[in-house]
Amino acid sequence: MSHHHHDHTHEHAHEEVEGSWRDAQDDRPLSVARRRFLAGLGAAGVATTLGALPAHAHGDRPGTPVNPWGGRARWFAGDHHIHTKYSSDGQYEVAQQVAKAREHGLDWVVITDHGGVAHEKFSIGQVAPDIEQARKAHRDVLVYQGLEWNIPGAEHATVFLPPGRSTVDILRAFEAAYDGGVLSTPVAGGGKGLITRSTSADGEPYALAALRFLEAQVLSGRTEIALMFANHPSRRGVDSPHEFRGWRDAAPGVAVGMEGAPGHQAAGIPAANGGRGAARGLYDASPNQDSFPGFAPTATENPYRTYGGFDWMTAKVGGLWDSLLAEGRPWWVTATSDAHRVHLDTHKPGAGDHNTTGSKGAPIDTGVPQVEGDYWPGFYSSTLVGADSKSYMDVMRGMQGGKVVAVHGRLVDGLHLRVRSLGEGDNRGVTIGGRTFVRRGHDVEVAIEVDLARGANFAGVVPRPAKVDLIAGRVTGPAVDRDAFAAPGTKVVKSFEVARTARGTVRFTHTFRRVEEAFYLRLRGSDGNRLTSDGHPVMDVIGDADPWSDLWFYANPVFVDVI
Amino acid sequence: MTWLGAVPALPGEHGAAHVDSLLLAAFDGVAADFVCTHVDRVGPVAVTTVSARVDGEVDLARLARALGGPVALLDDSDTPEARAARAGRDLADGRCVRFPGQSALTGTHTAAEVVAVSAIDRVVGIGVAVTPTDRVETLGFVRPVCRDGEVLLLVEPAVGGVLRPAEAESPHQCCGGH
Repeated sequence: MSHHHHDHTHEHAHEEVEGSWRDAQDDRPLSVARRRFLAGLGAAGVATTLGALPAHAHGDRPGTPVNPWGGRARWFAGDHHIHTKYSSDGQYEVAQQVAKAREHGLDWVVITDHGGVAHEKFSIGQVAPDIEQARKAHRDVLVYQGLEWNIPGAEHATVFLPPGRSTVDILRAFEAAYDGGVLSTPVAGGGKGLITRSTSADGEPYALAALRFLEAQVLSGRTEIALMFANHPSRRGVDSPHEFRGWRDAAPGVAVGMEGAPGHQAAGIPAANGGRGAARGLYDASPNQDSFPGFAPTATENPYRTYGGFDWMTAKVGGLWDSLLAEGRPWWVTATSDAHRVHLDTHKPGAGDHNTTGSKGAPIDTGVPQVEGDYWPGFYSSTLVGADSKSYMDVMRGMQGGKVVAVHGRLVDGLHLRVRSLGEGDNRGVTIGGRTFVRRGHDVEVAIEVDLARGANFAGVVPRPAKVDLIAGRVTGPAVDRDAFAAPGTKVVKSFEVARTARGTVRFTHTFRRVEEAFYLRLRGSDGNRLTSDGHPVMDVIGDADPWSDLWFYANPVFVDVI
Repeated sequence: MTWLGAVPALPGEHGAAHVDSLLLAAFDGVAADFVCTHVDRVGPVAVTTVSARVDGEVDLARLARALGGPVALLDDSDTPEARAARAGRDLADGRCVRFPGQSALTGTHTAAEVVAVSAIDRVVGIGVAVTPTDRVETLGFVRPVCRDGEVLLLVEPAVGGVLRPAEAESPHQCCGGH
């Protein structure tokens, strides 16, 4: 929400949450001990005091490489934002979505139906067995159960857990206690009636409590990991900069990133070409009362639009994402489908009453292609995750650790980045999402290997990056202004041209000479079709955005400490 | 002529254009040539307020009933309605739901014409320069914004080589508007 002042950071009074460590009825010894311990400590101090920050959540101590270089990583493509008939605006069976994801090459998916009163009451119990069934039917696809959480005071977010004995219980307790839809719905409507609107600022403390709740589930051992990614963050301007910082700081092992590119990438296809003629990403909004006032359309930019299909916060060099990274703290970006209804698919939603049953019922096959705004999972958007194996835990650890590349239209098949000290310091170096160190005044080498697409994308074209940008900026430490959303020192330091004739893997290197201060770097690439005069993505035009002719990838950063 | 401000009771989830039509209905019978919405961020939760430039006698009690909230004429009070009235008078911020010349801007007009026939001071292109002969396709929905004493129409490139206002009448409503 919109507020500049920071009087919302206090811990609000916790409700008892069934099935959590707060649940006094839960008498398992570990839970009792944790509860006693945490209650005495105050949840805010938990992470650091227990020393339980995952290795990936970067500590302040330099000299410990994170995500050490280990050769060419294996990439697993996935999508953390997928809807089914258990969303009031969705339609597909879980099985259909998983089968389509698999058909389009995905290794992992997260089922994320919208949170809310009906979903919490009726849908969770139904989707869980459907997910179990899909796992059995497609043993080569990881199917996570998640939720599209209405973040109190803000936008939506993916929240998900690995399969486990308590997964469903945790998700259910989380949604009942902390979903913005549930919290803002009046008691008479089955909600809690505790906040004014799902996006109003009085929800902000609940968002922080919610993330601490998830972190506590990890600390208590009820789940091994839980992750949250903020979805379509700029769409309505309701995710304020201080909210990102608040989420990240409240639960650094859980709140780890955001959609760098939203779904609904087909929505901007011109009506004249058989498309919906809407905004790419369905990003067609204007500021509302809960928007952050700093996110305002001006003569130079419109934060409420996508740029080359990516969210403004990610697409703008020196913008909000960079302002978070310039603090020297992790915050990762992804790309998802947000598939509700797929463009040119023949299904339409079933006639089920979602309000009273939690389901639209089975979709109806009209036999006629429908004009919609979404692509199937994997058809256009991919989140590539570097992981040791295709297992539920390894993929989530990869995401938590930022070994993530967001790709559109198969612009690349993989990206291998090695950043290392050439002098004293970490000579082995680290890869994407990592943290390395160098002796002050010594050189840092960046070695980039781009795996070009080995085949056609789903538009039938073998895409090719025309350029790869190396972007870097100083690490300036924790932001004094928690609502800052600019990193003026972050720039494109070099653009590498990819030869038109290149095949296979292309390699680039760059050396930062005589490094004097901590910095971070990241990569992005473009097919070169739509660039501003200075090489940046162009604001997408409503009703005139062919996604296949404007492809980008964004890789997550590497931090370089100076010792 | 003077300005008044109000804190209307509004439906939460139906989009700005729907809210606009409710507001304008409440002003039926009131001689108001400017009606603007503002966001009052003084309290813990942001509130949408309204200002209007009115002429002649206004039945404030009736207007307050129609809007479902307090209405006050311009003064120095520290209330949301008074802050709205001052913001309207100063054209300091907010968006114009009604403004002089609006009824002439229902089709496609050159930028020069937009400025000539209405209270809009400037047509501002987002990321593009606007020349007087550039065409603005209004689609019958024009909501200029006030910034620091000026009334600006923000426009952006649209399909067919025209410009369109940045605020659309029916933006995508996700999931019932949560």
